[in-house]
Amino acid sequence: MAAVEQIGRAGRAAPHPFWTVGRLRVAALVVIFALWEIAGASGLFYRGVLPSSYLVVWALLGLLTSLDFWFHAGVTGLEVLVAFVLGCSAGALAGLMLGANRYVGAVLEPFLHYLAPTPKIVFLPILLILFGVGMGSKIALGAISSFFPMALGVAAGVRQVNPVLLRVGRTFSLSRFQMVRMIYLPALVPSLATGLRIGLGISIVGCLMSEIKLSRMGLGFSAMEYYRVFDIPSMLAVLIFIFFCAALGNVAIDKFVRLPGPHDRQKRKWSGFTRRFT
Amino acid sequence: MTIPTLRLTNVAKTFTTGGGSVRALEPISLDIRQGEFISVIGPSGCGKSTLMNIVGGLIDDYEGEVQVDGVPVRGCHKSIGMVFQEESTFPWRTALDNVAFPMEALGVEREERLSRARDLLKLVGLDGFEQRFPSELSGGMRQRIAIARTLAFQPRILLMDEPFAALDEQTRLLLGDKVLQIQQELSQTTMLITHNIAEAVQLSDRVLIMSFRPGRIKRVLEIDLPRPRSSKMMGGERFGHYVAAIWEDLREEASKGLQEMERLRAGV
Repeated sequence: MAAVEQIGRAGRAAPHPFWTVGRLRVAALVVIFALWEIAGASGLFYRGVLPSSYLVVWALLGLLTSLDFWFHAGVTGLEVLVAFVLGCSAGALAGLMLGANRYVGAVLEPFLHYLAPTPKIVFLPILLILFGVGMGSKIALGAISSFFPMALGVAAGVRQVNPVLLRVGRTFSLSRFQMVRMIYLPALVPSLATGLRIGLGISIVGCLMSEIKLSRMGLGFSAMEYYRVFDIPSMLAVLIFIFFCAALGNVAIDKFVRLPGPHDRQKRKWSGFTRRFT
Repeated sequence: MTIPTLRLTNVAKTFTTGGGSVRALEPISLDIRQGEFISVIGPSGCGKSTLMNIVGGLIDDYEGEVQVDGVPVRGCHKSIGMVFQEESTFPWRTALDNVAFPMEALGVEREERLSRARDLLKLVGLDGFEQRFPSELSGGMRQRIAIARTLAFQPRILLMDEPFAALDEQTRLLLGDKVLQIQQELSQTTMLITHNIAEAVQLSDRVLIMSFRPGRIKRVLEIDLPRPRSSKMMGGERFGHYVAAIWEDLREEASKGLQEMERLRAGV
């Protein structure tokens, strides 16, 4: 969010008074759409690989009005939600312990560190055996995926809490519980927010990947089904829907997980958002 | 006979590290009476911060004894409040909530702690800035919030570890005036660690001059200047006399410290 704000601020001193940041963003979207249409109509691609955008919009409308689609969306949504909650809370707890105890951290963190960037999809065969082909294995993969960034982020966050603030807490005779509630937790909010944001993205990846590999339901499954019957507009529509939901999730995290600060005073919200476009 | 507010009896400290041990503080004994303002001044590495951390309870494996109102204390204690040299305000709390912090920890009711925090902000000259966050204020204002926050703890003894070290000279002088005013209004017993001679003279009833490592009290100087004081006294003849007297003692120690530092840097 802060980065977006930064770009916005820099853009206000744009070289040309007409091309404000908002207008340029709209223009960028228009250009991308136009390139898509031109490429699709040019005949350079195999027929149907790049369908015209209105076909995709049509397919999307078709999906949004079908019960079947909402069933698959619900399955994936539930998987992602459970995986995200399980993985992130386990990750946050593990991170707190790793950060709070230097020995535990020194022993275990290298493992986490080198395991974190390996693709978790390699665990899928084991998870299929353990939890079956249904939602269980998808949830497990999503949870394992989101566990790592959260654990590492929170562990680093605990160690980076300003030591002066901890000394202040000690001189005010804070209890252990008060130290956690009044100093550690607020100080950890930025690492928690980052962990949640990465965790959400990566648990979506985990769930969808395993759906695409082997499943009978979910959005990953329907995308693959549309691919199999070469219904590219519907396949793209599913992907656009997924993309949109993930973006919404990120916006929600940005909005709800943050520290109070001077930005609270600038009540921009939607009115300001629309104003920037007009 | 009155019991001193703070009494140190043979307080000493040796740091043991992997390689060996360093004597940081030779036994120090000292009485501070109610309402007195004491400054501890000395070169870098004289153990003045160690002394402060012992009194404040952040170091608790030391020799000797610390008494508050005749009662021995060890560890962090409700009767001692500290202000640190570093930036120490909570960035996620407004000025008002920062000052209310210790009262929140003590379980003071919301209405009462906010109204007391408001009074304290006014005392340090920050009325009108209650709802500002630290990032919106200057370094001097943030340090005043830290002072008000420690005062909200209502300590018997206020310890300040070079609270103005990170500030520019002019802000430092003006803040010194503020501290004087607070000390007069609350008759707050205060112990200040500093390396600024003029600051020590401006504020203190007594100045403790410490020697270079191992730290011990080299001399105690009574500052017999009339109160109420302010930074305007700095041009006075007696003020200059005290500054010169302190520098006389300090010069030798400071140059020892400097030589030691240079030797360390050269790796000899």
